[in-house]
Amino acid sequence: MSSREPFDELEAELLALGDLLDVPTPPPSDVAAAVRARLESTPDAAPAPGGEGAGAGEEAAGEPQDPGGGPDPAHGPPATPIRPHSRRPRRGEDRRRPPGRRRRWKVVTAVVIVVIAITAATPQGRAAVARILRFAGIELEIGAAPPPPVTTTAPLPGERTVPPSEVPSRAGFQVRTPSRLGPPQRTSVADGGRLVSIFWPDGIRLDQFEGTMDPYFFKKAGPPFPDFVKVGPYQALWLPGEHPLGYIKRVDGSVVPLRQAAATLIWQQNGITYRLEGVRTKEEAIRIAESLE
Amino acid sequence: MDDDEAIARSLDGDLAAYEALVARYSALAHRTAYMLGAGDEAEDVVQEAFVKAFRHLPGFRRDAPFRPWLLRIVANETHNLTRSRGRRAELALRLGATADVRAPDDPEGEAVATDRRARLLAAVRGLPERERQAVVCRYFLQLTEAETAQVLDWPVGTVKSSTHRGLARLREEVGNELA
Repeated sequence: MSSREPFDELEAELLALGDLLDVPTPPPSDVAAAVRARLESTPDAAPAPGGEGAGAGEEAAGEPQDPGGGPDPAHGPPATPIRPHSRRPRRGEDRRRPPGRRRRWKVVTAVVIVVIAITAATPQGRAAVARILRFAGIELEIGAAPPPPVTTTAPLPGERTVPPSEVPSRAGFQVRTPSRLGPPQRTSVADGGRLVSIFWPDGIRLDQFEGTMDPYFFKKAGPPFPDFVKVGPYQALWLPGEHPLGYIKRVDGSVVPLRQAAATLIWQQNGITYRLEGVRTKEEAIRIAESLE
Repeated sequence: MDDDEAIARSLDGDLAAYEALVARYSALAHRTAYMLGAGDEAEDVVQEAFVKAFRHLPGFRRDAPFRPWLLRIVANETHNLTRSRGRRAELALRLGATADVRAPDDPEGEAVATDRRARLLAAVRGLPERERQAVVCRYFLQLTEAETAQVLDWPVGTVKSSTHRGLARLREEVGNELA
């Protein structure tokens, strides 16, 4: 992401506009099932060991010139995998991987986790669902009545406290801190470096994660309703009340309710989504958000 | 299971692992195909791209990021489709329903903002093809310059200059004031 320079106002507007554009997408599990069915119905279901005459490798990778000049996977040697299969990590090894390996995935912003409803699906609850709002990597279900609170708390996947000096090497993106809040109490990294949480006294926390295409968090809200505000040039969303927060791992479908979250400001800046939780007033939350550096 | 493990297991013929990878990148792939001009045919393009990506997974360099590698295949499939249709790839985008949720206490300001967004979108739609592709990749898909270069198979310098020209044209069209 090093080629990304500070955005000017028009660029910020284009980014915000992109988030509002409606692109019809079928459920990911349907797409996955359809692709699998196609792979199973053809004789060469296993990945071809290279050298195939036509197809994506030719079209995607077969161009003679290498525009980037650098490491470009689409231009890799077609014949064999670069590394033998034995090199692959064993299950459960991910979180113990040294930071150097994790950094290879720095630009992979696709979010592994999608998000689901976590409150009990009462008939009233279902009927009250007014609309789903997707904003800056967070899916928000806004209903006519306040949703029932979550009474449990759970950590993020693979969440662990790390010393501040280790944050840059463990996070998959550049971590920023608001100068207005002073030194944090502690910092944690979760989900293989995809999400970083910084904590201050009085229940204030800042979560930041890369990737904006798929929601990572799920929130439910009713009255008092969310409010659109600006953090500098960036569109932001203020959720004034407590609300349930949760997510699910897409890969294995396991459900992880998180907790009842306090008032939260959500915004997105240069491809990173931020959620600032626990600041009492909207005005102060915005000032803190604007002090990000 | 992270990308690396999913890819390793897919290479061993584990279709469930590849299914997980497809699900993970499905939304981004659809968004890319749609925005690069596949429109209503994005679903077909994406399926085809994922099938081809699986076949060519052995050629993927495991120390490189999977995302731009996959998106390049998606962009190629999209290009093949629009070329076969024999016409300019239209940018069939519309503002989402989310736009009307905001600022219920300020209908006038909201109307102004909505109007500006619509004008900006129309201006992006009207850009020359290369500039539009650069702007779509850099801002709507939020790819870096290097990723955009890889996905569109252009030199990085072309990405920079096309983006720059596109932005200049947009400024002329809609001005630089904030909504």
